[in-house]
Amino acid sequence: MLMDNLQSLRYFYPELTLIVAMLVVVIVDISFNRLRNVLNPLLTIAALLIAAYFTAYVNHGQEANLFLGMLALDSFAQFFKLFLLLAALLVVLGSLHSEELLQVHQGEFFALLLAVTLGMLLMANSINLAILYLSLELVSLTSYIMVGYLKGDRLSNEASLKYILFGAISTGSMLYGFSLIYGMTGSLNLYTIRDAFLSQGVQGFDQFTILLALVLTLAGFGFKTAAVPFHFWCPDVYAGAPTPVTAFLSVAPKAAGFAILVRFLFSGMTQTSGSEWGLVNGINWPLVLIGISVLTMTLGNIAALTQNNLKRMLAYSSIAHAGYILMGSVVLTGEGLKSMLIYMFVYLFMNLGAFLVVTIIYNSDRSFEIGDYHGMFKRAPFLTFAMGVFMLSLTGIPPFAGFLGKLYVFLAVIEKGLFWFAVVGTLNAAVAAFYYMRVIKAMVLEEGNGKTAPLHVSFLNQALLVALLIPNLILVVFWNPIERWTASSVKLFSGL
Amino acid sequence: MENVLLTIVTFLPLAGATLLLAIRKDNLKAIRLLALSTATATFLLSLPLFFHFEASTPGMQFEQLVTWIPSIGVNYHVGIDGISLFLVLLTTFLTPITILSSWNSIDRRVKEYFIFLLLLETGMLGVFVALDLFLFYVFWEVMLVPMYFLIGVWGGERRIYAAVKFFLYTMTGSVLMLVAIIALYFFNGGTTFDYLTILSNVQTGKLILTVTEQSWLFLAFFIAFAIKVPLFPFHTWLPDAHVEAPTAGSVILAGVLLKMGTYGMVRFCLPLFSEATLEWTPWINGLAVVGIIYGALVAMVQTDIKRLVAYSSVSHLGFVVLGIFAVNQQGMEGAIYQMLNHGISTGALFLIVGMIYDRRHTRLIQEFGGLATSLPVFSTFFMIVTLSSIGLPLLNGFVGEFLVLLGAFKANVTYTVFATSGIILSAVYMLWMYQRVVFGEVTNERNKGLPDLSLREKFILVPMTLLIIWMGVYSQTFLRKMDSSVSQLLSRFQSTAVVLKK
Amino acid sequence: MIPISYYLLLSAILFSIGVFGTMIKRNMVTIFMCIELMLNAVNLSFVAFARYHSLIDGQVFVFFVMAVAAAEAAVGLGIIVALFRNRQTLNVDEADLMKW
Repeated sequence: MLMDNLQSLRYFYPELTLIVAMLVVVIVDISFNRLRNVLNPLLTIAALLIAAYFTAYVNHGQEANLFLGMLALDSFAQFFKLFLLLAALLVVLGSLHSEELLQVHQGEFFALLLAVTLGMLLMANSINLAILYLSLELVSLTSYIMVGYLKGDRLSNEASLKYILFGAISTGSMLYGFSLIYGMTGSLNLYTIRDAFLSQGVQGFDQFTILLALVLTLAGFGFKTAAVPFHFWCPDVYAGAPTPVTAFLSVAPKAAGFAILVRFLFSGMTQTSGSEWGLVNGINWPLVLIGISVLTMTLGNIAALTQNNLKRMLAYSSIAHAGYILMGSVVLTGEGLKSMLIYMFVYLFMNLGAFLVVTIIYNSDRSFEIGDYHGMFKRAPFLTFAMGVFMLSLTGIPPFAGFLGKLYVFLAVIEKGLFWFAVVGTLNAAVAAFYYMRVIKAMVLEEGNGKTAPLHVSFLNQALLVALLIPNLILVVFWNPIERWTASSVKLFSGL
Repeated sequence: MENVLLTIVTFLPLAGATLLLAIRKDNLKAIRLLALSTATATFLLSLPLFFHFEASTPGMQFEQLVTWIPSIGVNYHVGIDGISLFLVLLTTFLTPITILSSWNSIDRRVKEYFIFLLLLETGMLGVFVALDLFLFYVFWEVMLVPMYFLIGVWGGERRIYAAVKFFLYTMTGSVLMLVAIIALYFFNGGTTFDYLTILSNVQTGKLILTVTEQSWLFLAFFIAFAIKVPLFPFHTWLPDAHVEAPTAGSVILAGVLLKMGTYGMVRFCLPLFSEATLEWTPWINGLAVVGIIYGALVAMVQTDIKRLVAYSSVSHLGFVVLGIFAVNQQGMEGAIYQMLNHGISTGALFLIVGMIYDRRHTRLIQEFGGLATSLPVFSTFFMIVTLSSIGLPLLNGFVGEFLVLLGAFKANVTYTVFATSGIILSAVYMLWMYQRVVFGEVTNERNKGLPDLSLREKFILVPMTLLIIWMGVYSQTFLRKMDSSVSQLLSRFQSTAVVLKK
Repeated sequence: MIPISYYLLLSAILFSIGVFGTMIKRNMVTIFMCIELMLNAVNLSFVAFARYHSLIDGQVFVFFVMAVAAAEAAVGLGIIVALFRNRQTLNVDEADLMKW
């Protein structure tokens, strides 16, 4: 169902809420000098909750193309929107008691966060190259600012510079790819593009041009998801950015990147039956994706082994996790897609949890070095327990939630008979075990470094830790709802 | 009610661990008592499993099946047969003993220690009772974590190194097994992880795997188990882990954890991949024999008693593997019996080493000598356990080793001859060690006036010694219950092997 | 009428110059100019294609690109100014606090 602009507005409430909230936050920030520190977070949280409510209940079950075919409203987008709103909400809560951000004026921070979230919601929805580009840039530009938010901090400056340089170059390449696609098909709409490709047959186009267009486009998506070889920015940016921002970047834009990647590959580049790649006969696309995925996870894991800065280590680990998520995209089935969604869903809780612990420890110790975590067990037992669970979950050890993510990814690839791919994936998990266990080792097994004063964990942070721990601990038992939810979210593609 | 018994037994320790969380950290007495009573209650609850076990039924008993994740065919399915019954009992029996043994010797982070110990028990029991491959894998990995902490926090000097090594070795093996489990799941149609369903499909010919497929799956499973056993050449983590672990850790490690590897071979490798088993049997038996002799020779030159016992484990477990891959009734029963023996005898040896370490804070053989004069009761227990470990007739070790050798002899004479030399070597190193520690003049002043066994320590060793003698004198109590399960396993095994060969 | 291939060739050349520039130049501001060059190459090819297909949406896209490019330049210059305040340099090679 194609809707015109006015009709579409009814389904655009989540985004509208965010836009309004963003403006209100800016106004509050300049008009209420005393109250702004209280009001702004509250407004942001309220806006995110309202947007989530609209997404979950009001828009539920609707299938439509909004704004004359610019945005798709479907269950796939709904999954990502809820996911992204949840991630944003958790990050807002986690940033409230971050000493790093308290040093600077916080007003714009919430406005920026709302803007990024808005951009990501649009990314998840977009089926038109123009909207795709605009929403991607909305996310990118605001996240450059958020990374460089600590103006006086050299690391933050440098991270932001590297981010914007890599970002601008890769979106430039992506745009060039878009222009070639547009030239070949005469359309910016993903479905029309696919139909054009299919109707003229692959032979109808110059193979080299198609290849060039796709490679350039994938560069842009690869940048957002931090897949090798477009990952160079990732460790530096993660290490330099304020920790809550890092936590946010490691989950949300990555997920949004996967959302557009999936939309682009699955609805733009495959046969309508969905079981075959529709483009460029000479190139074995699954093999290319397998290659990217294997490189991404292996490089991420191996580089993470040698890191002593926990933030940097988690940056490399998030590269590795992007590799796992990519594993699911190789398989052109609903199972493959479902595994990606499940992986992202569990990854949200464990990764945000790990970063939250990093934030809390930095608040009192001012250090990201793993060496300074020694003997943390005695100073903060609960925090150590939480970190232990997050690390084990990231490793993929049952019964923690991370295991389910890995399980589904492996299920998807093994079903297609890609045994070696699965073996590489599992061996990577064993390598990853080494550095994740290193954190646990430092916190629990090593003797303290002289500091004995109990570490202060604010009530809010404790509550947040518990909130993040619960999914990690109990999802394995109460798995069915998640399974059904993700399965219904990918129906769109599995019946393609 | 009976079908939830296994679940209760498995998760009671977990419940105990959760309760422990609520107790204040410095209330040591309450912590210890709660841990002990949980473990004892688990043991008592597991006794009906033994008494109500129908010896004539070869299949699973006390089964319970609950749907868990229907869309991928995962169920919570537990049950035991004559093979796992005794391993469950061994676990529930050893845990209270290890808790008693660490009563005073663990003095820091007591609460966490007992929590991990109880979590470990749940994990181990789960591995033995799980009848769903998914569930099995979950438990298999779950028990890695508490063991890592037991070694890493409460271990000896190089504990961190040992813990990491232990973790990485087992993790590597088990992730490969995960791939094999998923692959098997899809070969079977991708509808269920249920072990019994897959097994019956294999046997009725509904699921036919080519020899190559079988071999890959077999190897993936086997390597995971072989690392756990540990079979030569995957054994290098074991001495480190054993030596560095606290006494209770060593007892659990030797007594139960190593058995998971051999149990896995019996449960999964043999019945599911019979053709591949036959294919690889010569190699595996070869490795087992190398392990037997290598372990014995290395044990002989050790100066640290605990290290010596650790290497003797490598040798003993070689016997178990040899018995399993003899693929006949005697060998298999002997192997299972030997698993129990090793759990009890080596467990007791580690306890004894721990007791002596508590007194002298050293485990070097040269530091001792003439303990018989100052510690007569201790030396007597030590004697019985040593003899049981060597395999003296009328003690438990003899029955197991004899059956294994009998079975192995039927299968392959050459290997048996070499393996027998392992028994002689074991007599040499054990008795030599015993002689240097216990007999002779008191050479070291500090050994004079050591206190003999306390009541608690006697309370630990007496049941173990009684079991050692009982299992040696009247093995029928135990063998009777495993007969039908083992013969069913083997008969199915041979029939499928024949079907496949055609 | 000038065939479309001429425009595309020019666009490809501009894009390549931009890409090479970002790789070999060391001055942050110059790098940003090279990025603008890349974007303008994109604009050129969009306009050319839009004209070729007689469609309007390609030309609209160009406006978006221009607007976003301006925003990107604003953010980029802001970041460069912040970095310059702390480091007194415009050379990207000196932004080297973080390495492997």
